[in-house]
Amino acid sequence: MNVNSNVQAVFIEAPKKNEKPPHRWLGSIELDFDHDNERTFLTEKHHRGPLVVQKTLYPEGKAVCHGIILHPPGGVAGGDRLLIEARLRPKAHTLLTTPGAGKWYKANQLRATQIVTFDIANDACMEWFPQENILFNGSQVELKTDIHLGTGSVYAGWDILCLGRQAKGETWEEGALWQSLKIRRLGKLIWNEQACLNPGSRLMQSKTGLRGNAVSGSFVIAGDKVPSDILESCRAVEAGDDARYGLTAMNNIVAARYIGQSSQQARCYFETLWEILRPWYGQRASRRPRIWNT
Amino acid sequence: MPGNQGVAIRNLSRLLMLASPMLPVGAYSYSQGLEWAIECGDVKDLPTAKDWIGDVLASYQANYELPMLIRLHDAWQSNDLRKVADWDEAYQAGKDTAETQAETLQMGYSLRKLMQDLGEFPIDFVEDMAGIETPAFATIYAGVCVAWGIPVNEMLHTYAWSWAENQVSAAMKTVPLGQVAGQKILLHLGKELPGIVAHSMRVKDEEISNFCPALTIASCQHETQYTRLFRS
Repeated sequence: MNVNSNVQAVFIEAPKKNEKPPHRWLGSIELDFDHDNERTFLTEKHHRGPLVVQKTLYPEGKAVCHGIILHPPGGVAGGDRLLIEARLRPKAHTLLTTPGAGKWYKANQLRATQIVTFDIANDACMEWFPQENILFNGSQVELKTDIHLGTGSVYAGWDILCLGRQAKGETWEEGALWQSLKIRRLGKLIWNEQACLNPGSRLMQSKTGLRGNAVSGSFVIAGDKVPSDILESCRAVEAGDDARYGLTAMNNIVAARYIGQSSQQARCYFETLWEILRPWYGQRASRRPRIWNT
Repeated sequence: MPGNQGVAIRNLSRLLMLASPMLPVGAYSYSQGLEWAIECGDVKDLPTAKDWIGDVLASYQANYELPMLIRLHDAWQSNDLRKVADWDEAYQAGKDTAETQAETLQMGYSLRKLMQDLGEFPIDFVEDMAGIETPAFATIYAGVCVAWGIPVNEMLHTYAWSWAENQVSAAMKTVPLGQVAGQKILLHLGKELPGIVAHSMRVKDEEISNFCPALTIASCQHETQYTRLFRS
């Protein structure tokens, strides 16, 4: 493959402010994507610790570069810190995903953190479709996502959260979650989502909150103003009888939300929306990464 | 002291004015997802109305609206217009549905217009308000409270009370509920208010939370609800 990769070990100083030592793992990955001659390619790849990106893939032609971010240890323990950064040069189009669910282990009183930062230059498009994050009972998790958009650029990303290991019948009885998604366009904050939650929060059972559900997700697209026929089609999508879901559009943002019992169902809902929205914001049909089938 | 008492009484009438459903900002025309909660059967009688409104008060109001209002009040108090603009931007970006965002902008516009028309404020403050392109309701509200010398905790009580009263009134019209039922809910919420205000004053920046997913979904669904009394 014609990928110009420049692999180099670069050590980034971890932010230490207000942190309880010791860090167990610091994993970081920095990716630069450029666009030239109708092709998006990875120009820089710096990583430290357990986070790596597999070779880039082009399942839908040279315009869109797919990357899979791997975290070989499989799960994140209390005190771990993961930094994921990508910069897209003008017109680049990148899709990043993960090979499996993110597992967040019991914390032992230490907060585990993931900080995702995307810089998306003019007319570039970044798609961030990680698989669900499973919060084990006792986990203390901070998930921060910061998006910086230029003129005419697009961010489309979802996150799905599963509180407790459902497969084991586990519920989230202890722990804490801090989650934020901030999107700025040309420096102006246009989306500001911030959640602070613990198993004792009134929201957990409240009919206005999670309604006792273990799974919640949101899918946010920041681009242009969505055409009304596309919005109509999105509104017609059904996630399932036992779920609650909805969609709104404002400020050149489309935002969908899901709460229910199944991360699979949340994924299905978001993927169906993606199929409808991708041709509009990304000028091409959606194409499921094959890794999602495994 | 008589002097202080004079200030307190003057503040009281200003607080009552801000809290009154007569304040011409159009609050009565919004239900914030409550109308859809009624449509889908989540809210159907006194206990369910009390739970819905009480839960939003204890979570969304206590962890988002009121903490943001405190920061806006601080920014106005320190006369830092850059900070006012930053918190206004953050507050608006945190309104996560089209109808709730439209609501705060419409009410912000109306409150500012009213305050300008009253001719009651020093020109500096009027110009500062005018300098914000499309302010949120909370932003102007906090500015007015600072200009009138209203302390933070009184502002929070007044703001949250008006919100609760407006929600109860929406429930009374739509469920529908009787006068006594409405007053019972208000009495109950009023008892919770001091705790909620105290909590909101302890919320740190990283604890601010606008996460209230079923409320957000109700507001999304309300945007396309077939028959509506309330605006979207």
